[in-house]
Amino acid sequence: MSQASANAMPAAVSTDPPVAKRRNLNRGKVGMACLICSEITFFGTLLATYLYYIGRDISGPFPHEVLDISVAPMKVVFNSIFLLTSSIWIVLAVKALRKGNIKMFGFWWLLTILFGVEFLVGTGMEWYGLIAEDGLTIRTNLFGSGFYTVVGFHAGHVCCGLILLTIVFVLTACGFMHKRHAHKVDMLSWYWHFVDGIWIAVFTIVYIIGYV
Amino acid sequence: MTVLDGPNRELQKASGHRATFFSYLHEWVATSDHKKLGIMYVTSGLLFFLIGGLEASMMRWQLAWSGLEVVGPEEFNRLFTMHGTTMVFLVGMPILLGVANYLVPLMIGARDLAFPRLNAFGFWLFLFGGLLLYFSYFGAQGLYGMGSSPDVGWFAYAPLTERTFTRGHSTDYWILGIGISGFGSIATGINLITTIMTMRCPGMSLMKMPLFVWLMFIDAILIMIAMPPLTAAQVMLLFDRWLGAQFFDTGNGGSAVLWQNLFWFFGHPEVYILILPAFAYVSEIIPVFSRKVIFGYPLMVAATIAIGFISLGVWVHHMFALGLSPMVNAIFMGSTMLIAVPTGIKMFNWIATLYGGKLRFQTPMLFSMGFLTQFLLGGLTGIMLAVVPFDWQVSDSYFVVGHFHYVLFGGLVFSIFAAIYYWLPKVSGRMLSETIGKWHFWLLFIGFNLTFGPMHVSGMLGMPRRIYTYHPDRGWELWNLLSSIGVLFQIAGILFFAYNVINSVLRGKKAGDDPWDAWTLEWTTTSPPPEYNFSEIPTVHSRRPLWDQKHPEDPDWKYE
Amino acid sequence: MSTEEFRPRTPEPPGIDLPAPTSSPFTCAFGVTLIAAGLVTQWVVTIIGAMLMLVGAIGWFREVHPDNREDRIPLEPDADPVAPRTQQVRRLMGQARHRQRVPAEIHPYSAGIWGGIIGGIVMAIVATIGSLIEHGSLWYACNILSATLLIGVETQTVEQLSQFNATSLIVGLLIQGIMSVFVGLIYGVTLPMIPRFPLLFAALFVPLVWSGLTWATISVINPALKTNIDWYWFIGAQVTFGIIAGLWIIRTEKIGTMQNWTYLERFGMESPGIRSQGGEDE
Repeated sequence: MSQASANAMPAAVSTDPPVAKRRNLNRGKVGMACLICSEITFFGTLLATYLYYIGRDISGPFPHEVLDISVAPMKVVFNSIFLLTSSIWIVLAVKALRKGNIKMFGFWWLLTILFGVEFLVGTGMEWYGLIAEDGLTIRTNLFGSGFYTVVGFHAGHVCCGLILLTIVFVLTACGFMHKRHAHKVDMLSWYWHFVDGIWIAVFTIVYIIGYV
Repeated sequence: MTVLDGPNRELQKASGHRATFFSYLHEWVATSDHKKLGIMYVTSGLLFFLIGGLEASMMRWQLAWSGLEVVGPEEFNRLFTMHGTTMVFLVGMPILLGVANYLVPLMIGARDLAFPRLNAFGFWLFLFGGLLLYFSYFGAQGLYGMGSSPDVGWFAYAPLTERTFTRGHSTDYWILGIGISGFGSIATGINLITTIMTMRCPGMSLMKMPLFVWLMFIDAILIMIAMPPLTAAQVMLLFDRWLGAQFFDTGNGGSAVLWQNLFWFFGHPEVYILILPAFAYVSEIIPVFSRKVIFGYPLMVAATIAIGFISLGVWVHHMFALGLSPMVNAIFMGSTMLIAVPTGIKMFNWIATLYGGKLRFQTPMLFSMGFLTQFLLGGLTGIMLAVVPFDWQVSDSYFVVGHFHYVLFGGLVFSIFAAIYYWLPKVSGRMLSETIGKWHFWLLFIGFNLTFGPMHVSGMLGMPRRIYTYHPDRGWELWNLLSSIGVLFQIAGILFFAYNVINSVLRGKKAGDDPWDAWTLEWTTTSPPPEYNFSEIPTVHSRRPLWDQKHPEDPDWKYE
Repeated sequence: MSTEEFRPRTPEPPGIDLPAPTSSPFTCAFGVTLIAAGLVTQWVVTIIGAMLMLVGAIGWFREVHPDNREDRIPLEPDADPVAPRTQQVRRLMGQARHRQRVPAEIHPYSAGIWGGIIGGIVMAIVATIGSLIEHGSLWYACNILSATLLIGVETQTVEQLSQFNATSLIVGLLIQGIMSVFVGLIYGVTLPMIPRFPLLFAALFVPLVWSGLTWATISVINPALKTNIDWYWFIGAQVTFGIIAGLWIIRTEKIGTMQNWTYLERFGMESPGIRSQGGEDE
């Protein structure tokens, strides 16, 4: 752009060159993208640690004993499908809000929340099984430490997201939601997609790589 | 809007009442103005600087001669831990964030940061995090139930930090205090990135931003990428200490090397997070005081980006003495050497900016020259340390201490002083005294070199860092004495500085809008700038908008 | 999160809308800190912290929902308008080059190489004279010089060092030759950039700094060698090199670099009038 304006300029003294129109990016989007970047490095560190410790346990239970592919992962796969599909519902919800269709927005939004809650409950049940039946706690061995930290932090983020989603839902139910809030809600949906995306990484590392 | 909530200065002015102390306090506590927050950032950073300096002075007193007993060994451990932690997290970070906070919106022609309330949140997190860390002096249960501060070194190597080896809460205070202020830094970093990406005034394309803004942009990206791994590592350590996790429990297969990797993956970018702002300040000051355009602007930008990238891939050079495989050492030796190239480009560009310029040696320029020479020396010893065999020889010796003080004190702190002398007239509307400023500079310059120059020698003679005393027959006394004498000069210099700042703010000469005949947008505002910065959002055509206005017959945009 | 743009259009009453002051971020941050502090002190502190954080978060939320709360700041007097400077920009050599300045003329590289070679020869002669006077030997200085590369030379006695040694001679000549040319080249490039008294720089400043540096560091680099060097002759030889090489280089005629040429000139185009336009086209 600088080149163009310099060349377009006649030799005469100073009439300022025209300024190219530039549409500024949306602040919320950039901010959320940055937040997601730093969250990714956070989870990246935890996952790198988990990877580093795979196979270094000196005492059991080991991943292949408790994350048995025939029993536990079925539940996990089931849960994952719930979490991942919730991303679709939230997209539909935002679309509805953009069109100003508050009712449909509320419906899809609630569906997102329910699917998220199902995932949390599923994780809770899995943890119960691991703790009560297999005796795996955070202090048992490296696998336990890593597993509960990684999965726990992910669940924490899901929880955080659910609280925010619920607030939005309550506001919608009370009639405080308008079309003009669509871009703010859109930011929230980005966060939710990020939580889902991280789950894919966690699932791959903990349940597939870690198992093998 | 509601008058009740905010203190309404205008109302008070109009009704003739003087603001009460509490309304004044409330104005600062409740503010989301980037300028007020910037001032608070820098002020609290400077206060922590005094505390950290006091800790350093205690250590130098203890080490002045062999066999002194000024402080005991336990207290000495606390001193160097708190000195390092304070200087990195509570001095360097807030000052660089504060200056950026104040100047970035002004330089890009915006009225505030992108998220003003988040900005306030970030500042308060930093401040409370720092206070929590210092509360450990009273609150942490040490070995005998007495209060004590962290004593595990600023990089807190595990498993020394595990519960087995460090009882009491001192290490927990380190984790929590640093963690909280780290959150604040991430928040402000994200805020800066968003501001720079979305709020530039019309005409300011990326390649027309002042270099200051470019450097802070890359700096903020580094903060965003490098701080979370530290938080993650601290969380793991916290789980180890409280929940009995085994991440760094070497007895159960945990790894001490992992902590070092995680810490330095944060730690080395952190060093560049601290030094990039120094580059930012001198990149603005040197052209103005040489009366020339910065030499090689595009190359400076490219070098900045290169430094940002490479700095994420050099962390293992802190761990050469660990016994990693020769291949790993060689790779990281190479990357460490590589980072000298963009840094060298910057060095040469600054010198080329000086070349043939009409130099004005006022105090900001003096400090910038101090930066150039001392940072060069620190950089050169850095290249020496990048060579693995040499690093093995002097690793963890006073040579390393000398090296990083030349970079961070001789580099960062000198440039911070340059920045304060340069921009304080904009902030307070009053000039700092040139005479006292020159006293400040020369005392600090002499004191600094007297303190940290001899450290290279004592390090070569084998003196390890972090020892609280030493035997008389090692030949280290002279060098340590010199170092300690240098501290006296530095203290005198800092006293001159403190007097200068207070004196100037209270009754300094009026600065006017543009005391240095400078070229960037912040100088088009009044000093101090109004709360909204610009009554009309400016339009720029070049990197030096003010030059274009002053020299309409020869504007910059014809040449960019 | 404030995603609303500020409104720069002129509203009534005149003023600019900025985010209203709020203490919610403060409260929220204090709450977060207390939560952490409670973990290392008393759980009650954590509870209080959580409550404070909640209060702060709700307050914060109310700031930005349904719309950002803003205060109207009345306008203050603007800064003085920037007046155009009356004096014209001083230009170098009639070209638009006050923005960037680079060495316009340098000594040719050949001057540096020749200066280095000649200086190096004279320097070797001075050093040899020195060793003749001090030790009555032609080879002493050369042997010492070779000790920077050869292992074992530094532990020899003065008698041994005074003997002729073919290896030392070859190595010494190599070092002297390479270093002389190298330093000469550096002189050739640097001297034209020294603003005043370039000869003083070449003949005194650099030799003295180099000698001082060697003197200060040799005890670390090669301690055994330190006692065997005759420092006065060392400095004398360095200064001789500086004078000869510096004089030689300064006396050669400078040639212009391409830095101030226009692109047309750099491409080798020749036509009347190009030069007079100077760098305006760049």
